[in-house]
This record gives sequence, structure tokens and C-alpha cells, in this order.
Amino acid sequence: MAALQKSAYSYLMGTLAASYFLLMTLWVQEGAAVPVGSHCRLDKSNFQQPYINNRTFMLANEASMADNNTDVRLIGENLYHGVNISERCYLMKQVLNFTLEEVLFPQQDKFQPYMQEVVPFFARLNNMLRQCHSKSDAQQIQRNVQELQDTVRKLGESGEIKVIGELNLLFIYLKDACI
Amino acid sequence: MMPTHCFLAFLLSFYLPGVEETRPDPESLKPQRVHFQSRNFHNILHWQPGHACSSNSSIYSVQYKMYGQQQWKNKENCQSIQKFFCDLTNETSDIYEPYYGRVRMTSAGIHSGWSMTKRFTPLWETKLDSPVLNVTRVNGSLLVILHAPYFPYRNPKGKNSLMENYYELVYRVFMINNSLRKEDKVYEGVEKVIEIEAITPHSFYCVAAEIYQPMLDRRSQRSKERCVLIP
Repeated sequence: MAALQKSAYSYLMGTLAASYFLLMTLWVQEGAAVPVGSHCRLDKSNFQQPYINNRTFMLANEASMADNNTDVRLIGENLYHGVNISERCYLMKQVLNFTLEEVLFPQQDKFQPYMQEVVPFFARLNNMLRQCHSKSDAQQIQRNVQELQDTVRKLGESGEIKVIGELNLLFIYLKDACI
Repeated sequence: MMPTHCFLAFLLSFYLPGVEETRPDPESLKPQRVHFQSRNFHNILHWQPGHACSSNSSIYSVQYKMYGQQQWKNKENCQSIQKFFCDLTNETSDIYEPYYGRVRMTSAGIHSGWSMTKRFTPLWETKLDSPVLNVTRVNGSLLVILHAPYFPYRNPKGKNSLMENYYELVYRVFMINNSLRKEDKVYEGVEKVIEIEAITPHSFYCVAAEIYQPMLDRRSQRSKERCVLIP
């Protein structure tokens, strides 16, 4: 360390630049060599469609008025508890998948006309994430998603309303995690 | 007289359910129309007095929480107040998060029940004021300087520190030709100082601006037009 501190500024900068280059190379190579997990991305343009964004918020707004349970929240910070930032998109994919399969498809007749526009939108995102897999041991992710699923199932009908009331949060969390 | 009357009414309605038809029930003591009004991400809770008794001695207390939290928090400056609004801008500071506010009335030591807002997400609810602009001529260009409405300082965790980016807002500048009744959008972006080049001499230019929320396709009111004559 002492030697490093004494060394010339230019030498230090050179080392830094070299390390940076090396890191970037490794990073790129890893990306190329390990395709698993690299599909956990959504293009920004998916979240730049004001019409469907508005519909999603309107739907969530309407459903949230039927949700009197203000203490229980499904999509929030604790969903990310113990989960690496790079794994968040995979986690949100799981949440999205559950939302579609167990809530949106069965409840499609409700909250019209929003549902008929919003469900295909989320189904499309779900499709785009089909190839998204976890890079590492996904136990913690499964636990967190399981907790959400248990909460919804335990609450029954009102749990499903809660899910719909949080579609704006699903939208924002997907956007943050996947673009 | 009013407080006593309120007090009696409340007690009667509470202990003698049979007289509910003639006396105000606790439900009607509760503040009414509790809702957030949000402008430029300043979020103010508003309410009206309950139907039953609104006397001068009625005081109100406000609590708030983020959706999903178990505990309500007292809003310090809005305990036992007589006014019908309370500024919760700092307490509702993440524009992407859903919040609730609630109010109760106290009269002669008796509390009404709490009246709660619907779920409130600043991003979705806020209304934007128009920017104000200055236009000056600099050599062969027009220099447009935008003064945005005042947005509360937020702590954008991990987001780009530029406020407009955090709020996901852009400015739009329009060049208006009143004689031809046409207008062109000459700028859309986050900068507040914009140079418009390629203007022709001996002409009259009018400029206006608005703030735009691309995510929701919402815009503020148009600013007043500013016009300059190019000699």
C-alpha cells in the first residue's frame, strides 16, 4: 500500500485505467459467455405508452378504492429483502407471472373497460420476459414471491382486488427493475 | 352553546342507538371530503367539517402513512388545528409511492371517528403549473429562459439528481406565428435555457412553453406568450 501511495500520480491513473479496461472486458465477456439471466430486460419503450400507462393507473385507482386494507401491501420494498439488485427483474417477472395467472386472467370481466386493455399489456411484458431466468440461487427470491402469493391467497377475493389496486406499483417496479 | 350541543348529540347517538334518526350519529361528526390536492408535487390535505356540528371550538388532527405501513403517524404541525387543510408535502415525498391521510374532529374533548383519503399517489394526482418564460434576442438567435414552478426538493434515491429527471418532466417550447395561425414545437427537453437559431430579421416572434409529463401524456397549462421583434 505504501508503495502505491508513493508512486507517481500518472502511474496510479494508468493502473486505474488499465483495471477499468480489464473489468469492462471481463464484464462484456461474462455477458457474452453466460446468456442465462441476460434476458431479464425490458425495453424502455414498453413503459412510454401514455395511453396504456394511464389505463393502468386508472384501473389501479378504481380497484384501490375497493381495498380497505391499508396495512397490507404486496408490491413494496420488502419484496426486495435480501435480493441482489441485479436479480430484481427476475423477481418482478415472477410477481408478474403470478399476477396474470392467478388474478388478471380469472378476473378479466371486472373493472371494464380498463381490464381488457391492461391485461394484454401485462401479458405482453410477461411474454418478453419468458427467457428471463435467475442467475444464481433463487431461494430468497422464491421465498419473497411465495410470501406475496400466500398473502393474496389468504385474503381471497379481497387479495385479488388488492393485486389489481397495485397494478400501478407493478408497472413502476417492473420499469425500475427491468429497463 | 354549540360545543355542549355537539357533546350531547354525540353522547346520545353513541349510547342510545334508538335516537339516531333525530340526533347526529358519530359518522356525521367525522370530517367530510378528506382528500389531497396536489400542485407541482406539493400535497395538501383538505377536508370539510362534518354535517352534524361545526362550531368554532371544533379542532382537527391529522395523521398520514404510506400504503402498507401498519402505524399511522401524527403530523406534528397539524394536531388540534382549526383550519381545514394541512400541508403533507414532506410526508408524501416519494412521488411514486401511495399514501393515505386521515383527519378527525375533536369537540369538547370528544373525538369523532377518522375520515380517510383514498389512496394517493403524487405522480398520478399532481397538477402542473405552467412555466414562466423570458425571451431575449442575442445576435441572430432567440434566448428562451424558462422558470419552472417550484418543485419541492426530494431525495431521489439512486435516481438522476436532476430534478426534472426524477419527476420525469420535460419542457416544451413553441414558436407561434399569430398571423399564419400556426405554431411549431421548437424544443422538448429538460434544459431551462434554450437558444433558438435561424431567425429571420424584421420579423416578430412569439414563444410559449408548457411542462409535459411524457409517462402520462399530461401537460401543464400553456405559459403566457412572450413576443420579440427582430430588427
